[in-house]
Amino acid sequence: MVTLEGVQKYYGTAHVLKGVDLKLGKGEFVAVTGSSGSGKSTLLNIIGGMDRPDAGKIFVDRNEISSYDDEKLTLYRRKKIGFVFQFFNLLPNITVIENVRIPLLLNGSRDEEMAHAFVSRVGLEGREDSYPHELSGGEQQRVAIARALVHDPDIILADEPTGSLDSSTGRAIMGLLTRLREETGKTILLVTHEEYISRYASRVLKIRDGIIRQ
Amino acid sequence: MTLTELIKVMVLKNMKREKFLTVLSVIGVALGIGLFTGVKAASDKAISSFEADIRGTNPYTNFEILDTAGTDFQEEIYRTVRKIAQNSFPVLKVEGYLPEIKSAIDIQGIDLIRTAGFLKLSPGRGSSFENYFRGLNSAIITRAFASSHSLKRGDIARAFVYDKEFSLRVSDIVDDASLPSNIFLMDLGNFQEYFGKTGYLTRIDAEADETTVSEIKKILPPSLSIGKKEAAIRNQKSLIKSFRYNLQFVSLIAILVGIFLLYNTIFISVVKRRTEIGILRGLGASKKTVVLIFMIQGLILGIAGSMLGILIGQVTAYFSVTAVEKTITSMYRAVSITDYFIPKTDIALALALGVLVSLIASAAPSFEAARIRPNESTREGTFEGGHRRMRRAYALAGLVLIALGCAVSYIDYHSMPYDFPFLAYAGILFIIFGFTLLSPSYLSLVLSGLGRPVEKLFTSVGVITVGDIKGSVYRFSVALMSVAISSALIFALLTLIFSFRNSLKAWINKNIAADVYVKPASCRSNFCFFPLSDELIKTVEGMPEVAGVDRFRTLQIDFQGRKVVAGFGDREIRRRSGDVGLAEEERRAERDFGTDRIIGVSKFLGIKFDLKVGDTVELRTPRGVQKFVVYDIFSSYSTTSGFVYLDRKWLMKYWGLDDATQFAVYLRKGADVPAFISRINEILRPRFSLSITNNAQLREHVLSIFDRTFAITYAIELISIIVSLIGVINTLLALVIEKKREITILRYLGGSWGQIRAKLVLSAGIVGVTGIFLGGIMGPLMSVIFIEVINKVSFGWEIHFHIPFYYLSIVTAVLFLITLSAGLIPLNVAKGVDPKRLISFE
Ligand SMILES: Nc1ncnc2c1ncn2[C@@H]1O[C@H](COP(=O)(O)OP(=O)(O)O)[C@@H](O)[C@H]1O
Ligand SMILES: [Mg+2]
Repeated sequence: MVTLEGVQKYYGTAHVLKGVDLKLGKGEFVAVTGSSGSGKSTLLNIIGGMDRPDAGKIFVDRNEISSYDDEKLTLYRRKKIGFVFQFFNLLPNITVIENVRIPLLLNGSRDEEMAHAFVSRVGLEGREDSYPHELSGGEQQRVAIARALVHDPDIILADEPTGSLDSSTGRAIMGLLTRLREETGKTILLVTHEEYISRYASRVLKIRDGIIRQ
Repeated sequence: MTLTELIKVMVLKNMKREKFLTVLSVIGVALGIGLFTGVKAASDKAISSFEADIRGTNPYTNFEILDTAGTDFQEEIYRTVRKIAQNSFPVLKVEGYLPEIKSAIDIQGIDLIRTAGFLKLSPGRGSSFENYFRGLNSAIITRAFASSHSLKRGDIARAFVYDKEFSLRVSDIVDDASLPSNIFLMDLGNFQEYFGKTGYLTRIDAEADETTVSEIKKILPPSLSIGKKEAAIRNQKSLIKSFRYNLQFVSLIAILVGIFLLYNTIFISVVKRRTEIGILRGLGASKKTVVLIFMIQGLILGIAGSMLGILIGQVTAYFSVTAVEKTITSMYRAVSITDYFIPKTDIALALALGVLVSLIASAAPSFEAARIRPNESTREGTFEGGHRRMRRAYALAGLVLIALGCAVSYIDYHSMPYDFPFLAYAGILFIIFGFTLLSPSYLSLVLSGLGRPVEKLFTSVGVITVGDIKGSVYRFSVALMSVAISSALIFALLTLIFSFRNSLKAWINKNIAADVYVKPASCRSNFCFFPLSDELIKTVEGMPEVAGVDRFRTLQIDFQGRKVVAGFGDREIRRRSGDVGLAEEERRAERDFGTDRIIGVSKFLGIKFDLKVGDTVELRTPRGVQKFVVYDIFSSYSTTSGFVYLDRKWLMKYWGLDDATQFAVYLRKGADVPAFISRINEILRPRFSLSITNNAQLREHVLSIFDRTFAITYAIELISIIVSLIGVINTLLALVIEKKREITILRYLGGSWGQIRAKLVLSAGIVGVTGIFLGGIMGPLMSVIFIEVINKVSFGWEIHFHIPFYYLSIVTAVLFLITLSAGLIPLNVAKGVDPKRLISFE
């Protein structure tokens, strides 16, 4: 479903990705581990259409997204991708339910039922009208997960989703992600530097010196 | 549309959270737009009352026959005219004044029966036409006038007409919006008899085509002329148009300050929400959506601002109507504006202006927002970085614009391609934009020079503050420019006003030299056109303490093809009575030019016709075209339509007139002026109604008219100060909101509110000082353009440049203190910040 061929990325003179090859099958749950600064987020951003590689190709469902212009990439992110970040990245001034509705609205759907359903699925029923700052870290990440799934994307990209949570909350979040993946059959690519998190995945890859090692 | 939903979530909620910022921006925009609309409405009312006056009582007539000298003429000619043009109507009119309700009126004697159809007179309703004729003093008035002065049918009003007092009876009230509201209609026959004008007409209105007109021309004596009403209307309008344009231009600058404020608000909103925009882009929001979000935010603020602006405009209109009315009355002729409601078209204009303002203000920040990359949410980028690279280019473009602005203004000064100073207006706008582009370089230059001393003086707070401003040069530049523009406006306008007032005082000293001035009480303008009774003048001349009476006659004459006001004074009397200065000047000129056919020309005409002293000009008189030599080009502050001055002997010789419309009295040495005035009052009161002023009163009166005219300017200054202060508060506030986290951390680290306050006040102080300094450069530049170009093209008044350093330094100090205190408001907002919320956000 997702194929990377020799993807390279430079930041100035820093050669962060030095030719990454990667294949993700439909419905797979793959974890990429690596130390801090090894290029995990960079890799995720490139797959998610937030950034572009300097060399190499990326195919998603046989479409070469590495050749997309900004407009096409925007559409790609809007329809195909659900992102979960380390620092949640919720919009601070709007409520839980509004945050979850944003991807639907961007996709031209006013379906409120769907948003409510996902808020319930992540276990936040009754907190719809709270603001992000009124929630705990774990709860905020639940909202982010609901937001990542609500518009039915093909791929979930999770960048250290437990990185700013304590380990028991982290485990709960991972439990939720696993359960939702089983229910929805989504493809998940997760990056983390914590060993125990990768155990939830069906396949674990390591990134070091800008190269993926099996 | 899901967009509306998105807007609700992303825009409206945000505005609600930042009520204070939102309200401030709305008020800022509203003040500028309100001022503009109010001033426009007030001057338009004056213009339309002019127009209604010329259109007259017969809406279908398109031509008017007038005496070329502006005097009344013998009515015999009407019979001949009527034979050629069936639809022609005689009019006899005069200006009057109702002392009880302090209102100037326009009394017209017309053929009531023939005009009844147009005027929607209602003789059937409980009265008959006879009613109008019964009683010589019956007058029909308009509904607007009746209701604004609570007059009813049957009421009697005391009225000054010509140089006497009369009473007028309200015989009916008509509802006709096309009539000037202050018109009093009388039957022509009654008018002639009641006011002693039997056999005279002022005007004949005629409905005619070209062939009829040429036939009429054949039978008209040389003293009469027929002309298109449209042309007369255009002429009259252009007189007050310059007056209006100038007021509107100055209020346009207030709007400009409002644009800066709005730009500031949106820009700050973009900066503050950079992370949010990044997240939104990451979720798949397109650039277009981001642009829309901020444009719509601007649009909402702009439209809300213009709606509030319409209310403010209504208030402004209410107050400026009086000022505009008084100024136009004394400069041109009596107008009375009874209705000060802003018309629908101006409401639409205000809304359109609001939309325009918000589009201009939000375009740049919105596109800036669209440039934010989707992954900026995960990593801090330098927002100002892009601008920094462009700083050189901006500064260069700014210098070019400033030079262009000066060049364009110079072209206007030099060759005056238009009747109105449009190029100079554009020049000033160019200069303002030029300085705007220059401001970031200027600020960083100042900071690098000022940084050290400030850091030394204010230690750690100084270091943090200077660093802060250095890091946000662009945001601070916007605030700086709001301060700079409004202080420039203050500098420029104060300089203009003081220079003008000083020049006017010098003129008064030279020209107001007689002891007592007399004119009809019915005349509210500086120049009167209705002759005084001979008996009156004889009486005054015969009094023992009188040394001489300078009989002054104003007349409309044809000067090089343009209608101007001519004043005829008595030089011999003045010389004999001790006012030798001017008389000597004339004698010298006669010797130099070797002729006594000399004429003084107002600067306005000198500029329009490119005249120099020694040039020969042509006047069309009833006795043919006459040549005169220009011996003086003088300032005339009494009118803006052009004025020439001639000796009385030519009045007699070429116009066949020997009357006076006003006169000045010189008393013998040692005479008691107040005693003299009360004595002539006593003698003349019963028979005449006059306005008699002594020298000091007249001087005071001239200055008070001046002050009233400029009252609107003071309001404009005040408003632009307020708007620019809102801009400063806005910037600092946004900075506080943006730095909330930093402030909280500062608090955790043991920083006191005192230190935070010091930092805010210091920021405000730096913005204030640098802004005022820049305004101190822009202001004088603008005042030179105001005085040398805009004034020259629109009025031609002589204004000697004079910078009021004393007042300016007081105003500057006050402005600076207010700017400093603007730094205190955001502190309260900072105090209201909930630390929990800040910490959990990032
Ligand atoms: N936008 C950027 N500009 C410059 N350097 C960057 C940028 N993004 C990442 N880097 C650098 O690339 C390397 C990889 O970063 P990242 O992908 O965030 O690592 P990880 O997520 O594995 O911690 C780091 O050395 C980081 O400093
Ligand atoms: Mg990372």
